[in-house]
Amino acid sequence: MKHTIRQIFRSGKFVVGFSIFVTILLIVIVYPLIITGEPLGIIGQGTFFPPGIYVSVYDSIGSPSYTLFLDDAAAKRIASKLSNDDRLAMKDWLIADGVPENQIDITDTEKLLDLWEKEYDPDKGLPGMTFAKQRYYQRLNDSLEGLLSTEAAIIAAKNAETGVLEETGVVKQSDYVNVGEVASVRVLPFGTDNFGRDVLTELVAATGVSLQIGLVAGLIATLIGLTLGLLAGYVGGLMDDVIVFITNLFLVIPTFVLLILISFSIGQEQRGPFVIAVVIGFTAWPWTARAVRAQVISLRNRDHVNLSKLSGHSIAHIILTDILPYIASYVIMALILQISLGILQEAALSILGLGPKTTEDPTLGLMMQWAMIYQAHILGKWWAYFPPLLTIALITFSMNLMNTGLDQVFNPALRD
Amino acid sequence: MNKKFWLIASLLLIASIALSACGTTPEAATPEATKAPEVTQVSEATVAPTLAPGAPLPRNETLYFNGQQWGPVVCWNPYSSSCNNALGIAQQDNARVVMFETPYLYNMLDGQVYPLLADGDYAWNDAHTEITFKIKAAAKWSDGTPVTAEDVAYTWATHVKYSTPTGSANMDYIDAIEAVDPQTVVIKAKLDEDGKAINPLIVASYVSSNYVIQKAWTQTLEERTGGDATELLADTAEDVVYSGPYYKFFADEAKVVFIRDDNYWGKDASMWGKLPVPKYLAHAMFKDNAAGFTALQAGEVDVSQQFNANIQDLWLKDNLPISTYLPDAPYGIGASLPTAFYNLQSPGLDQVAVRKAIAIAVDYDTIIANAMTNQSATFQQVPRSLMNPTPGEQALYDHDAVNDLQWAGKDIEGANKLLDDAGITDSDGDGWREYNGEKLSYVATCPNGWSDWQAAIEVVAAAGKEIGIEITTNYPEWAVYQTVVTKSDAPLPEGYDIFMMWSDGAGPTQPWSRIRHLLSSEFVGMASNWNGNWGQYSNPDVDELIKEIPGETDEARLKEIYTELVKIYLTDIPSFTLMYRPQSFHAVNESVWTNFPHEDDGTEPPVPPLDLTDGWSIAGLYNLTLVAE
Repeated sequence: MKHTIRQIFRSGKFVVGFSIFVTILLIVIVYPLIITGEPLGIIGQGTFFPPGIYVSVYDSIGSPSYTLFLDDAAAKRIASKLSNDDRLAMKDWLIADGVPENQIDITDTEKLLDLWEKEYDPDKGLPGMTFAKQRYYQRLNDSLEGLLSTEAAIIAAKNAETGVLEETGVVKQSDYVNVGEVASVRVLPFGTDNFGRDVLTELVAATGVSLQIGLVAGLIATLIGLTLGLLAGYVGGLMDDVIVFITNLFLVIPTFVLLILISFSIGQEQRGPFVIAVVIGFTAWPWTARAVRAQVISLRNRDHVNLSKLSGHSIAHIILTDILPYIASYVIMALILQISLGILQEAALSILGLGPKTTEDPTLGLMMQWAMIYQAHILGKWWAYFPPLLTIALITFSMNLMNTGLDQVFNPALRD
Repeated sequence: MNKKFWLIASLLLIASIALSACGTTPEAATPEATKAPEVTQVSEATVAPTLAPGAPLPRNETLYFNGQQWGPVVCWNPYSSSCNNALGIAQQDNARVVMFETPYLYNMLDGQVYPLLADGDYAWNDAHTEITFKIKAAAKWSDGTPVTAEDVAYTWATHVKYSTPTGSANMDYIDAIEAVDPQTVVIKAKLDEDGKAINPLIVASYVSSNYVIQKAWTQTLEERTGGDATELLADTAEDVVYSGPYYKFFADEAKVVFIRDDNYWGKDASMWGKLPVPKYLAHAMFKDNAAGFTALQAGEVDVSQQFNANIQDLWLKDNLPISTYLPDAPYGIGASLPTAFYNLQSPGLDQVAVRKAIAIAVDYDTIIANAMTNQSATFQQVPRSLMNPTPGEQALYDHDAVNDLQWAGKDIEGANKLLDDAGITDSDGDGWREYNGEKLSYVATCPNGWSDWQAAIEVVAAAGKEIGIEITTNYPEWAVYQTVVTKSDAPLPEGYDIFMMWSDGAGPTQPWSRIRHLLSSEFVGMASNWNGNWGQYSNPDVDELIKEIPGETDEARLKEIYTELVKIYLTDIPSFTLMYRPQSFHAVNESVWTNFPHEDDGTEPPVPPLDLTDGWSIAGLYNLTLVAE
């Protein structure tokens, strides 16, 4: 046993696959201990907040402020509101409005803004200008308000009694806060999803659930396949015929179609992650059964089996002690593949809207389904669909790697 | 041999590629969208007079839609309501008047009706039992014959004779429609025992929501179908005679195209004085919202009538020439109130305290920001009532009188206090409150796949947890959902404690009709109830007030009634509004066409954002211009 395990871990492929898998597993276990909070809790008011560090504006006003004189601060502030495209657009407007081109210098912000302020009229539609463009200029004009101001911003609060605004603080342009000292900062490495949930927290929880679904589905499929394969292969005769007949029947029907029909007919109310896992398990066993049967047939006339038969051992005993150990490595490999298949099937079902009941337990498939419903893929909100996609890919990739590694160790034909 | 084989094989391959390339050309019409502005100079004047159906449409003469037609057109029969002909046939409050026309056009922005086939305003007689209006002398059918009062009368007679959907909906309120002379129509209301019209509101709304159909063609149709109602309604009516500015050009599984009738009577000075600008109206069948959205983004769709999440990204981030009616959130004019109904027979939900606690604990701002991506006015902007956010309806009730009853939502403290005061507490310490010893546990539900509603229901459920009421969610398929919810002759089954349905939008009978559909007990007991009040609320006082409105002409009294109704609604809370939703979503891409309706666009009367097809919004078709580059 020790020797076998050592042999397995000598396979590079297995080790890589195994470490990816264990890393994912560790994250799933450790992450919730650090970041507590409902994985499905709605924290954001709005959809698809981009990834980043979110700093409480309110708290940063109250945080200790530091004065920094940075040369590029003003330039950056202006650039964030007034891009080069905006400058060119302003020039277009001014020219269309009748300002001679040589009077417009788009590199000189101050002059440009002066000219703009003088000439621009938000209600004036230039001939041939689309309405969308007109609104663009209105928005641009609004955002330019106070752009070159060097004055400090004043913080005011409403007096509870009189309702009058009273100055409570001043924010100078050279004031900075240290993010580490702001009371409330939330890092959202993958932003939020369409419900305003933290994608990373949800992703970790979903990975856990998806792994469980895969495990349950894989165990069920392997167990059924193994039992039927052993019986058919060893007992043979009529039982073999019947089992092979049933297996072939299931093989002929495309598994996924069967899966869709069953999931649809049990209805949304009943569809928890566990039920989905069971359904996947009950539709995924046939090829395991076939392969196990083939292996058992080749084993059943070996000498040690015949010896065991002659010694009068029961069928169960022979199967368990003389056959099963010889195909154990194969069964483990089949199990690994079934688990990864289970995860993929859940995702596929969820994308079709036939996955587990929404929003009680997250799964990777459901995350992708909601991202798709809210058109994250079209709007370029990659953080809503790419992380679950990548996770699924990583899990199945790691499992397939482990499987190939195992194959190299156990398959005599591949052994070097 | 081997070489020869490969040679032949590759030749075959090339040939097949070439063939398949040829095969797809007819579909290549839309990608022209982006370069269209360059060709504006040659437009309008040189129009190829005959274009083969199915040939690529000239982009700068075609207005493309999405979000209305989701499957192939079945028929062109204005008597039928199952033609699946979204662009052609929709007899509703804001009737779609592209091909068939109504006597009047309703304008949801000012609540007025404007004459189309009719000449001048309609008039009630003194007893308020009859409406009289004239037909425009210029109004003509597509076969050149004049539209007459006889056509209006015969249309109604046919609706009644064959019990069409229109007929059955109005039969209880309209006694007869008669032609006094070729130009004059009289609509006689059904009267109650006191000799008053049963419902003058519905009678009046008939003139702006139902088409006038040609008598001669109707007779042909009757002859053809042998007087059989089912066959009459099932007739595909390819030969139908119409009065509108557009008619069928071609329709298949992928697309439906209307072409302008250049002899359209409306170019007469008594109506529009000109023809609508686009020569073709086209609607491709998109697979889903995402496909329609991509087409809008690419400039292959000019007018979009579908929910496009985060629409502002299209102009803020992608810098596309796309805009909505309003520049900022909510981007459109809210008209209907998607509502969460309580099953008033669920244990505990018969208690006002429980209903109110849930309603005030819900975080509406999150619903509006997340589920509707801010395409709804907030309840701070438009306080809840029975009215939609249009100024006309808002003015109908006294805001101050119901101020104390309003709630902003997310009031967990208030909800908890309310429940505690009512003695509904957690007595066994399991974290959930009990009423009469029974744990308060509900299922909140809406149809599966209705994403914005599902997201809203999730937020409702989240509120429960905060106030010790267990609310789980469940999303049955629409096929199941609708049969359960519309069965009002028995208590709703388990799993439908809090459920979402719609309410009426904007129309000539509003807000009366919406209030009736939300509160009237007349629908309780119906085996198939598509009207409303699905939670089966019953209050005789409310029924009385609802009955009083249609016949009431005194505005002060009306305001009194409406205020009273809002007061009762906000006190009893048989259901509560979750968001405001526009009558039609309306976003436009100005790659090819411009001068679409938008707020303060200077049109008088204002053109509403209803996709240039519904009610008065069709006026927008006459204002379009091509984008000049």
